Amino acid sequence: MYVNGVFIDDTFAEAFPMRAARIVVTAVNARWAREAALKLTGFATSVIACKCEAAIERELEPGETPDARAGVSVLLFAMDTEGLGKRLVERIGQTVLTCPTTSCFDGLPTAEKRLTSGRSLRVFGDGFQGSKVVGSDRFWRVPVMDGECLLQESFGVAKGIGGGNFIILGADARSTLAAAEASVAAIATIEGVILPFPGGIARSGSKVGSRRYKSLAASTNDAYCPTLRPLTASSLPDDVDSVLEIVLDGLDEESIRQAMRAGITAACLPGIRAITAGNYGGKLGPHHFPLRAILDGHAEGQAPA
Amino acid sequence: MTDRVTLTLRAPLDESIEADSIVPNAFASLGEAEIGTLPVWAGRARRVLADYFDIRGSRSTTVRIVGDVRRAHGIATGMSAGDLVVDGDAGSRFAVGMSGGRVDVLGSTGDEAGVAMAGGSLRIRRDAGDRVGAGLAGASRGMTGGEIVVGGSVGAHAGARMRRGLLFVSGDAGALAARAIIAGTVIVIGCVGPTPAYANKRGSLVVAGGVDVPATYRHACDYEPPHVRLALTYLARRYDLSFGRGLVEGRYRRHCGDANTVGKGEILEWIRE
Repeated sequence: MYVNGVFIDDTFAEAFPMRAARIVVTAVNARWAREAALKLTGFATSVIACKCEAAIERELEPGETPDARAGVSVLLFAMDTEGLGKRLVERIGQTVLTCPTTSCFDGLPTAEKRLTSGRSLRVFGDGFQGSKVVGSDRFWRVPVMDGECLLQESFGVAKGIGGGNFIILGADARSTLAAAEASVAAIATIEGVILPFPGGIARSGSKVGSRRYKSLAASTNDAYCPTLRPLTASSLPDDVDSVLEIVLDGLDEESIRQAMRAGITAACLPGIRAITAGNYGGKLGPHHFPLRAILDGHAEGQAPA
Repeated sequence: MTDRVTLTLRAPLDESIEADSIVPNAFASLGEAEIGTLPVWAGRARRVLADYFDIRGSRSTTVRIVGDVRRAHGIATGMSAGDLVVDGDAGSRFAVGMSGGRVDVLGSTGDEAGVAMAGGSLRIRRDAGDRVGAGLAGASRGMTGGEIVVGGSVGAHAGARMRRGLLFVSGDAGALAARAIIAGTVIVIGCVGPTPAYANKRGSLVVAGGVDVPATYRHACDYEPPHVRLALTYLARRYDLSFGRGLVEGRYRRHCGDANTVGKGEILEWIRE
């Protein structure tokens, strides 16, 4: 299969179950909501070392937020509910509570499973905190030096999916980065999906474990490193000198499928030779995203002349 | 089964009646004739609903009352689910002990509307009498949950001893508003009468139109309380209300009190700028 002359590998991306929360941060203006969200999602690229994966889902207009202020929606993923709860307390406590003018709300109000992160954080108020029930939700008023920080008591937990991916194989670094950037821009419009790596792009794709250092959980994906082509069992065609990976976490399979379709289609630009995906032969996780099936009927073109 | 039950008052009431049998969730399993036999008290005389109302519909928790029932008291007592619309004024002790469902009174209510309310939504488009959202006589707690939204003004003792919940008043509130509230929120867009939030423990009285803050409250600061913004935004969206931007986004003067009690409550006085 080819899309705009770019070969689509007959393979699939393999993803695994995670637990997810959606956090809505609002502030006096979009700038401060973004400042809080950037800190909230900092150092959250991979569960391998960061214990969670998080990124900004999208910016919200005042009409979309509970308190009618500018806001940012963040998705945060962890391997289990317990871990998710810990990360929420740590991160909201250190990044939203500390940021001027912010309030913090749950973005998954219909989720049955709840984590009472706001309740845990209320004790920062040292007994001066208070709560209010608005609608059917409780909010904690934690006194801080610029007034009060309003924290929703509980956050919904969704069964998310982590590790969706596709890999862009390009002729050179410049065109590969441009294709990856186009991918990220296309995926940015899709709700329920985040790209946790810097700018949405990962260059250090990894394999499980290490061939030399036994204590490592993951090491460089040497099969996709162009500089190692003659030194390892390379998976790269001869005309590929740069590779970048897009990793996706989503709230459900359909969101990831939709995002992969948009991202792959956008990445099929001049200079790109092929799109492939990472999997572990189906042993890593139950969620499989076959590239050709995702694109089937949505985008197809001719092979290059 | 029909999609709604309509009770149409046959003639203006020339006597007060106790109509606490009109409760939408109780109609869920009743046919038209059975609804008509529900008891109504006129003084010591036991009568039935069919003596006063034409009844149309059956086995529905969506109920509409057509006619001036300001002399019918106790309607919706203990309501726990369903929808009730009163097409005019309603009498006293309306929706006492309500715990769920939605009520919309297109006119005014008498005294003690929403007393001992625990949940649900009670909307009164015009005025309410004394003790709206307060407690039953002798009870230690007023409303413990739910929302009361009044489009006009309310009488004295609004929200007295409230433990939890939200009482919103578009107009003015009489004397002793939010008296002895334990927690919860009373928002008054108009003015409040003398001695507001007396013996307030941890509750909030938010006033936009003017308040004479008692000496037992101490000024803390002027700021933008995020919970007021959240509550007003919620009310505007849920009840299709409109407020000036200044009310939602504006600053409020926070007074902590009442020093007569634990003093963790507040009066938030809107600063007109």
